[in-house]
Amino acid sequence: MSTFVKDLLELEFLQNAFFAGILCSIASGIVGTYVVLKRITYIAAAISHCILGGLGAARYFSVVYDLPWLRPVYGAIFTALASALLIGYISLRAKEREDTVISALWAVGMAIGVLFIFKTPGYNEDLMSYLFGNILMVSREDLYLIAGLDLLVIGLTYTFYYQTVAVCFDEEFARTRGVAVEFYYLLLLCLTALTVVLTVSVVGIIMVIALLSLPVAISSRFFASVWKIMIASTLLGMLFTSSGLALSYAPDLPSGALTIVIAGVAYFLTLIWSAFSRPTLAKSNAGNTD
Amino acid sequence: MKLDSPSPVVRFSEVNFAYEDGITVLENINFSLETGEFACIVGPNGGGKTTLLKLILGLLKPISGSISVLGKSPGNAQAKIGYVPQFSKFDAAFPVKVLDVVLMGCLQHSFFWGRYSEDQIAKARSALAAVGLPGKEEQGFASLSGGQKQRALIARALVSDPHLILLDEPTASVDVAGTEQFYNMFEELNQRFTILMVSHDVGFISGRVKSVLCVRKTLQIHPVSELTGEALQNIYGVDVKLIRHDHRCSEKGHICPHS
Repeated sequence: MSTFVKDLLELEFLQNAFFAGILCSIASGIVGTYVVLKRITYIAAAISHCILGGLGAARYFSVVYDLPWLRPVYGAIFTALASALLIGYISLRAKEREDTVISALWAVGMAIGVLFIFKTPGYNEDLMSYLFGNILMVSREDLYLIAGLDLLVIGLTYTFYYQTVAVCFDEEFARTRGVAVEFYYLLLLCLTALTVVLTVSVVGIIMVIALLSLPVAISSRFFASVWKIMIASTLLGMLFTSSGLALSYAPDLPSGALTIVIAGVAYFLTLIWSAFSRPTLAKSNAGNTD
Repeated sequence: MKLDSPSPVVRFSEVNFAYEDGITVLENINFSLETGEFACIVGPNGGGKTTLLKLILGLLKPISGSISVLGKSPGNAQAKIGYVPQFSKFDAAFPVKVLDVVLMGCLQHSFFWGRYSEDQIAKARSALAAVGLPGKEEQGFASLSGGQKQRALIARALVSDPHLILLDEPTASVDVAGTEQFYNMFEELNQRFTILMVSHDVGFISGRVKSVLCVRKTLQIHPVSELTGEALQNIYGVDVKLIRHDHRCSEKGHICPHS
């Protein structure tokens, strides 16, 4: 632990990793709250897996056609937004078989990614870092990208807070009030897509959904309003990512996996805690009958 | 509230509706709902009750026929309709304060940089008082009982100063004694608003309701029978009335002189 603190003050790559975790937690805490409340974790997971196709394709074309400006993250952003809009369109139009279509996108996106990565000349270690994350590879440029996303998410949430909460709570009623439900739903999916892309660098494609949902699952047991849950989830995310990084450093463990294990342990401890405090909750609810 | 406007609040003429799979849900629906009415839609599940509400709200479009709501097309009249869905549709643990639920009724298309005004908050508080939930503003919606949740949703419909209130099975999860309290409240609200509600109960309707629309693909308007079965009263413990399903009324409907 002391080597971690000492190195953190000296090594730039470690500082980048540390701040990537902190900054990602802001976007994932806020967007994750919406994802959990709107019950679209499955959609968020599908988007996160789809982006492997974009990552793989961008890297393939970058290497094969010698296009150094084409960074994999651009491919990921494009694929994430495209799949978010496609899934959004499907779930707004077709009410049935939505999950089948989402599953298909999920798997096909990954399959395309695997094919591109397989055919890309050179060393293919990147596949592992996409799937499981490699926070130590985060660059300064990535940090600016994540900080920009944070500003976007905070700005939009502040501006449209009541509308977005109303859409999550009761879509149909919001529609009768003249709220542009489709717009906010697609906006939410696009923000989810961008958050997922940038969080992938911290915990990887497979585990990103845990970083979106676990802090919210914990904090929603303690707070009864949406903005409080957003703030608490952000703080919890910061705690999980930085402790995951710190504890994985000396024993040289994958930090993304350790971050998720820490978040999972915290979640189960919360469940146990609420199971024991249930009797008092039931007592206070008993007085609440009509 | 204006109770003396001459045109009907809702008018359906020759309305047909089918979902995309082609199965006809509503066929040749004709009725009008006058200002100050307290009407109840009854019918079997899948008979088209909720579809009828959604047509009035403009959430669904008829395949033929015309609908006018407050003299406008349904989509344009939304702002003047207070819609109360069933509370059981909602996420029971959704983290939101009761006051914030009620304030959702103030949302509008133009609502931007959204913050609620003092005026809107005062209105929301008085709406909560009107439905019998004073002092519950800061409590979590999730911590309310079923009946209280339903009341909060009624308050949410009241804050936008509606002309018409649409209720979708408001007493579905409320016991008989609670149902009677709800009807007391509806009767009070009916002094100010035109009310159209969907009931899950096909056989019995509170005596407070003035007319009954029976929907089963087609629509028939029944009077609320004047006969009050004493035996039924004993069973239910409240004032219930029989609907005479054998009777057919004119399209204008039948308004029972009861009040």
